[in-house]
Amino acid sequence: MAVNAGPGTFIRLKLRVTAGGLRGRTGRVLLFVLGVLVALFLAIAGYLIFALPGFLDDPRAAATLFTLGGGALVLGWLLLPLVFFGVDESLDPSRFALLPLPRRVLVRGLFAAALTGVPAVAMLLATAGMVHAAALLGGVPAAATQMLGVLLGLFLCVAASRAVTSAFATALRSRRARDMATVLFALLAAMIGPLQVALAAGAQRADWDRVARLADVVAWTPLGAAFSMGPDVVDGRAWAVPVKLVIALASLGLLLWWWASSLEKAMLGLAVSGGRGRTAGQSRPMVEQLLVGALPRNRSGALISREIRYWWRGTRRRASLITFAVLGVFLPIVLSSGNGAVTMLPFVGVVAAISLANQFGYEGAAYASHIVAGVPGRVELRTRAAGLSVYVIPLLIVVAVLGSLITGEQARTAALLGSLLAAYGLGLAVALPISVRGAYALPDTTNPFATSSGAGMAKGLMTLGAMVVAFVGALPLQLADFLVGDVWLVLGLPVGVAYGAAAFWAGSTLAGAMLDRRMPEVLTAVTPNR
Amino acid sequence: MALRGLVKRFEAKTAVAGVDLDVPAGSFFGLLGPNGAGKTTTLSMAVGLLRPDGGDIRVLGHDVWRDPVRAKSLIGVLPDGARLFDRLSGGELLAYHGLLRGMDPRVVDQRAAELLDVLALGTDNRTLVVDYSAGMKKKIGLACALLHGPRLLVLDEPFEAVDPVSASLIRDILQRYVSGGGTVIFSSHVMEVVERLCSHVAIMAEGAIRRSGTLAEVRGEDSLEHVFVSVVGGRTATGSELAWL
Repeated sequence: MAVNAGPGTFIRLKLRVTAGGLRGRTGRVLLFVLGVLVALFLAIAGYLIFALPGFLDDPRAAATLFTLGGGALVLGWLLLPLVFFGVDESLDPSRFALLPLPRRVLVRGLFAAALTGVPAVAMLLATAGMVHAAALLGGVPAAATQMLGVLLGLFLCVAASRAVTSAFATALRSRRARDMATVLFALLAAMIGPLQVALAAGAQRADWDRVARLADVVAWTPLGAAFSMGPDVVDGRAWAVPVKLVIALASLGLLLWWWASSLEKAMLGLAVSGGRGRTAGQSRPMVEQLLVGALPRNRSGALISREIRYWWRGTRRRASLITFAVLGVFLPIVLSSGNGAVTMLPFVGVVAAISLANQFGYEGAAYASHIVAGVPGRVELRTRAAGLSVYVIPLLIVVAVLGSLITGEQARTAALLGSLLAAYGLGLAVALPISVRGAYALPDTTNPFATSSGAGMAKGLMTLGAMVVAFVGALPLQLADFLVGDVWLVLGLPVGVAYGAAAFWAGSTLAGAMLDRRMPEVLTAVTPNR
Repeated sequence: MALRGLVKRFEAKTAVAGVDLDVPAGSFFGLLGPNGAGKTTTLSMAVGLLRPDGGDIRVLGHDVWRDPVRAKSLIGVLPDGARLFDRLSGGELLAYHGLLRGMDPRVVDQRAAELLDVLALGTDNRTLVVDYSAGMKKKIGLACALLHGPRLLVLDEPFEAVDPVSASLIRDILQRYVSGGGTVIFSSHVMEVVERLCSHVAIMAEGAIRRSGTLAEVRGEDSLEHVFVSVVGGRTATGSELAWL
């Protein structure tokens, strides 16, 4: 049978899936509208910024701004889905596995569907400012060229984010590859650190020429090629346009090819990862197999052990853990280049706790077995927090040591650790109630970065809100640090621990009582397709 | 187990509209119904997984929603689909369920090994449950439900997607459990299994119980399948449609 499912079919499907996800859920609709408003605001702000060189009649500024701004957008599309938002996988590629669709049709359709989203539209709106500026500076030819460049740039961004998340999803799925992924992340972190330091150093010298020269280089890379085509026409360098067109098209083609090949692996899904069954040499008693280390042989011990194993065995959880580890290592390096290093660092503690904000969504319907067994809410939440802490607290110690080493204030290590732990406790206190009230189902795919339609927005906003609350909560400690002076070097750790523990106790008690009242509702919320 | 006036509405649709059902102690009870009849919804409410909009559920005299701790300790549940912590190995999962129920670790070890052995899942098998076949998943789910020695077993579609060998094993274990004084209620749409196993049957359609009683009462002189189709109101093929087949 001939298949003529054009991109339009996929776009309609995507819109319908999105609408279906919103129907009858007032909370989701509100979040969606809020997200659209935020995106609109950002888009208009971006439009004005990009159009500004046109109003100022400054072609040089236009070239620099378009190139670097565009490059930053590409990088943002590349990295943000990995770290924060996840990609909207309302059209899960594996659902198309059984349909007789040629790869070209599928990739074209999924790509079109990926373009049909709030972020892509917002980006198009914002970069339209470049077209406006190009029109003011160089008339119709420049504007037309820039419009082409803006469209190409948008395609490049979307293709890059799809290709990278899809490749990462495939990589993190197999157990052998996860160590590779860890190394890769560490490398990435190591690269971002020095780059950031160099950028900050450059900015401090405030050398406009230097920035412009950097832009000239970036303009010839895939990051900036598409966006810098308009200014080329304005400057009378029309010969550069075809070359840059080739650069942009070639990178787009490469990304799409990469995406297509990893898509195929994603569609094969679990069939690839077979042959994992293995038999232990000697049979240990079941309870010993389950429990980690010297944890008690009771309910709490079992709950904590399962959490510990799940943070490593679940792809989603592993992804968030690795992301956090990378953040923890490179944030101190990045922050040390600025002045706010030590005041900002406790933020890492909050970020660690935020990964619990949708903890019930991780296992979905499996939570049913806790309800059936009658696990009390407080035990549930505290053991879950304990499981995460097994990974987080050593990392926080590393962060404290690294942070104080880099800033050269070794004496502050203990105080810094105190603030980190306090921030972690506060973060938990905020994340636990959110996890009970705001639980949502994650789609049943093996892509750890996938979120259901609309939920990505919800996740982003909720995370942001939790961070703000926890950050404000951590302010008293920062203030005390500031006012008390040297005594804080001694007091910082005990006071921080006490502060964090108190916050955690209060938060988990509150959230535990909430969970006791809402167990079935939480289960319904995290069960996919309900 | 006794259900009285159970109601559940989802947004626009009423999934369960006033179900009254008595499951006598010691019975092997089959809950029959076409897809979407409300079987899973009813059983979910009965074990405390889904809050009913109205009605009462008592298990051996304990109200599931007002006295959940007592009631739940008497029930073993095999939920539908993948409602297990499937990134543990079979042994780990059993130990987990045992400890969650507050059992003595030594008893857990002993019973878990026995269950894995009887259900032919292998006591040394370190494969994660997520990689199990459908039949193995059902078996490990059943083992989890049986581990704490419940008085009442609530099973949702225990024979769905299970190979004949596993199915006959599950049947044997359930029959032994009932003859030992336990009560089983399970949902199914496989007439032949229900007819062979059950002492009592109820037929459900569109959120209500249409027939209920002992197998003989419900079946009468006819075959169960015939009764089922006529009660549910299905159509029978006349032969004129789908002629192109």
